[in-house]
Amino acid sequence: MQALAIKSHRIRLLLMLIPAICLGMLASCDDDEVCEKATANNLRIGFYPAGQEEEFWVSIDSLRVLTLEKPEEPVYDTLFSVSSLELPLNHHADNSTFIFDYFHTRDTLWIHYERETHLISVECGFTVFYELQDMDYTTHFIEALEINEPDVTNSLDEHVKIFVPDTIPGN
Amino acid sequence: MLKFLFLIPFLVISQAGLAENDTLFTPSVRPGLDVSGLARHLLEPEVVTGEVSLDVEWRKSHFVTIEGGLLQVDMEQETHRYQASGYFLRVGADFNMLERNPENPHDVVLASIRYGYSKAEHEAPFIVISDPYWGDYETAVPKENFQAHWLEAGIGLKTEIWHNIFLGWSLRGKIMLTSTDDPEMDPYFIGGFGKSGSNTRLSLLYSIMYRIPIR
Repeated sequence: MQALAIKSHRIRLLLMLIPAICLGMLASCDDDEVCEKATANNLRIGFYPAGQEEEFWVSIDSLRVLTLEKPEEPVYDTLFSVSSLELPLNHHADNSTFIFDYFHTRDTLWIHYERETHLISVECGFTVFYELQDMDYTTHFIEALEINEPDVTNSLDEHVKIFVPDTIPGN
Repeated sequence: MLKFLFLIPFLVISQAGLAENDTLFTPSVRPGLDVSGLARHLLEPEVVTGEVSLDVEWRKSHFVTIEGGLLQVDMEQETHRYQASGYFLRVGADFNMLERNPENPHDVVLASIRYGYSKAEHEAPFIVISDPYWGDYETAVPKENFQAHWLEAGIGLKTEIWHNIFLGWSLRGKIMLTSTDDPEMDPYFIGGFGKSGSNTRLSLLYSIMYRIPIR
């Protein structure tokens, strides 16, 4: 490699100047950690009409969602025109049970999953990621159910599709 | 395996006698202490790093370099505590691009390449995850080992400020080769590399060194 003819006194000048510049760079090179990622990872559910080849959301009125653990405190109290919703999975246990109350017709949904503590960032802290294992349900109102994306993380994926009659009250 | 890397400078010194006949060149070793870790500690008190280096000019303008250091992180927030400790090591070479000047024959402008390795253990002994419906969930992540391998390339200067005492800086671009894949907890800071979360990093080392002629 060809040697560079650089005057030594210029190097000394550079040596004095560069640290000050680079201290600024050091600060600017590090990404500012912002708590952009959500730390609440809810199960995202979409409602679809059963027996339709093309998939499109169906809108439901008068839907309440309860849990067995806290029946006096509904997750959702009478939703109208809802075609998708988010359910908070119980991060104290490996399963959650939700009750869908639709015009006093009730279906129960048992969701089984594995939990994993996940560091979002040291500044933002930890959250719980879930991997759906299995789901059981009654079929008074719900016709079928499909796990679309088993990993419940802080992405915006729809995790579960619930198929309901395509002619339902309120529509 | 890594312990043999420490032998490199001594093997290189033994080859120094083969160096070309240049009145401005004498083989030398130059131990150094990185002070940029102190600056980082001022900006980020939760991260403490200490780093030393040793370069050996075994042939005119050719240097073999070893850098190593220790890392400690202790960050406590309202919802969690994160702790890490470990060490890192870099080995590589520098090439001086500066024509020797009789007035300052040991000043150098360097192109550098490095291979870096870091090993640390980290843990989160206290975690609280809040949920508006289910309330607080308390848990912890036990101690886990983390390793990383990366490459660096950069430029730098070293200049003699007083009787074999040198100041120098090195600006390094870094690219991660492999690291422990842990879906649960990535390290906050990888010793010798920088903050995790990106496979590339730019960093500055600023060192004070003492040159010891070998003959």
